Amino acid sequence: MDIAFLIETVVKIVVILLVFSALAGFGTYFERKVLAFMQRRLGPMHVGPYGLLQIAADGIKLFTKEDIVPQNVVGPIFKIAPVITAATAFMAAAAIPFMPSFTMFGYEVHPILADINIGILYILGVMGIGLYGPLLGGLASANKWALISTARAASIFISYEVITGLALLAPLMMVGSLSLIDFNNYQVGGIASWIVWSQPVAFVLFVIAGFAETGRTPFHLVANDHEIIDGFGTEYSGMRWGLFFIGEYANMFFISFVIAILFLGGYGDGSGLGALALLAKVSFIFFFFLWTRAAWPDVRPDQLMWLCWKVLMPIAVINIVITGIVMMF
Amino acid sequence: MSLEQFQDRNVAEQNYFHVDIPDYPTTGWGKVKRAASRTFKGELFVGLWVVFREMIKFDIHTVQYPKEKLPVGPRYRAVHEMQRLFESGTERCIGCGLCEKICISNCIRMETKLDENSRKLVTDYTINLGRCIFCGYCAEVCPELAIVHGPRYENVSDQRAHFTDFSDMLTPIDAAISGTQKEFDGFGAVTPHEDERVKTTPLAY
Amino acid sequence: MFEAIAFYLFAFLTIVMFSVTVFTKQALYALTALAAGMIFISAFYFLLGADFLGAVQIIVYTGAVMALYAFGMMFFDTTRNVKEYGRSPQIIFLLSGMIALLIVIIFVVPIVSENITAIYPVIEGVGNSQAVGMVLFTKYLIPFEVAAVMLLVAMIAGIVLAGKKMDYSLTLMEDEEIKLAEESKEKALS
Repeated sequence: MDIAFLIETVVKIVVILLVFSALAGFGTYFERKVLAFMQRRLGPMHVGPYGLLQIAADGIKLFTKEDIVPQNVVGPIFKIAPVITAATAFMAAAAIPFMPSFTMFGYEVHPILADINIGILYILGVMGIGLYGPLLGGLASANKWALISTARAASIFISYEVITGLALLAPLMMVGSLSLIDFNNYQVGGIASWIVWSQPVAFVLFVIAGFAETGRTPFHLVANDHEIIDGFGTEYSGMRWGLFFIGEYANMFFISFVIAILFLGGYGDGSGLGALALLAKVSFIFFFFLWTRAAWPDVRPDQLMWLCWKVLMPIAVINIVITGIVMMF
Repeated sequence: MSLEQFQDRNVAEQNYFHVDIPDYPTTGWGKVKRAASRTFKGELFVGLWVVFREMIKFDIHTVQYPKEKLPVGPRYRAVHEMQRLFESGTERCIGCGLCEKICISNCIRMETKLDENSRKLVTDYTINLGRCIFCGYCAEVCPELAIVHGPRYENVSDQRAHFTDFSDMLTPIDAAISGTQKEFDGFGAVTPHEDERVKTTPLAY
Repeated sequence: MFEAIAFYLFAFLTIVMFSVTVFTKQALYALTALAAGMIFISAFYFLLGADFLGAVQIIVYTGAVMALYAFGMMFFDTTRNVKEYGRSPQIIFLLSGMIALLIVIIFVVPIVSENITAIYPVIEGVGNSQAVGMVLFTKYLIPFEVAAVMLLVAMIAGIVLAGKKMDYSLTLMEDEEIKLAEESKEKALS
């Protein structure tokens, strides 16, 4: 195997890990600030200018906190559960093209770890494994709240997976490929050729499923603070709890990338402007995640299942049928 | 809210209105209609717009507490203060013991003796602030306006004994002499129109 | 070399995981090891270049084991060991050992005799999912459709079985209605 390829891959892995771990931290800062402004508050202000160093303070706190493993928990599983959440979030990033390819020091860099031709399936599958973190953490915790959160995680998982798959089928039929780069190249022709215009229903369904997948507010059932304390995280402390957090925020960023590339044109023709446009789209989707948290109420677990199985699934199927008919004639 | 509204204690009628909630649909078609109306009414977007408008307006209501503090009302009942007489600067407390008697949580303790002029002298006066419920009876019962409630509400300490320190509560003597000691206008203080309410004592008892 | 390392690593991990699944008395360990083993198996598909099957393996088995977790959660206290009752472990050991041996022989014989040929060799320039689709929709169309119909039948049957008392909601009933319903249930039982 080529040594240059090996070095490049390792560098890419390190860059993705570092950038998105840091971004997960900044994500918490942005979330607190945006929510505060929307609720006429200031948010964190004390640590550093405008509270910017709050992330560092939180990090130090999480790292130096005692790692408590309570009595009666299933030790190994309890310890490994946060790692699953964080690791799968970053594993899913392997097939996401974060930027158009560019030349650096006369060497062409493709900012994607593995351009497998089933990228989107891989990403959704591995992100799906991410829900094993809450599931295992809750089951192993020997805590009733955590157990409820586990039951909810399982019910969410079997509900939203169907919607993601069916919602994606229609755009997949149009593009004819499972690779995210092919999706991007399909929409090269500017704003008019974005898939969101030809598949608005699939776009809405996929965004809803993305909310369920990342467990953000309308579907924030797994760790709904006012009902089940912190759900699966009730018994966790220190960095183990922090890993859950990093996984959640990294997942939010990655699903934002996926939505932007699948439906909103991605990085377009691959110029610098296109890359900036991709970042802008991703930032907007991330902002939308925070925005809904300030504005919308949570649904009950049974309402989520009702929504997924009885409303969204038929709509998705009808969407596929209509797309097929239109493509045939 | 105006003062009249605030003083109108008949809360059942003012400011309340019934939200018009339609009945829970029982038929399947009713449920479908409700789901459709909820989906297409755009209420979710109204919510999004409201919070976004607040964000753009940037009308922040945060009080950054240690740097800025909200003003405390004059009748606020926080940690007690022991007042001094103006000019002379002697303590106002005459050792009558009324506050000790009336205290419902039994947190005031005082010891007195007769001094060389045969006047009562307070030798030891403690208020256990760990037990005090800040009811204000002591300030109300005090005939000399000696013990009053001050506005100091930040009492953090690592020693419970600090809560009983008399010298902390006593007005500094230079403040009393220079006349900067504030007269208490809260619980039990002399009201502005007290003269009009004073009645002559009937002598016919 | 990397492929060899990856193969042996994942082979080792898979075997360890499935051994844990079989030998442990902890329901949670067994389920987790099962899920992990299934995901490690997908690594072999990726190593062989069958990306599509690998991703499908991950998606299908995470969902399937998730359903198992739901059962495990309902039937066991997952933080305790499960007491197993086996009347004759010898027979169980013998039967499962025989079946395992048979399966190994079935799969090893064609490799040993060295006469396997791919019926559908990889076509150059055709992606993985396309190749699967071509075989699925030409030669194996009828089994594929039959399987789809069978799953549909199973789904409808499941809905019918589970949805018998869908409109029976205690939260929406008045007290008298609940009492009446309970009485009628008792009558039906006696």
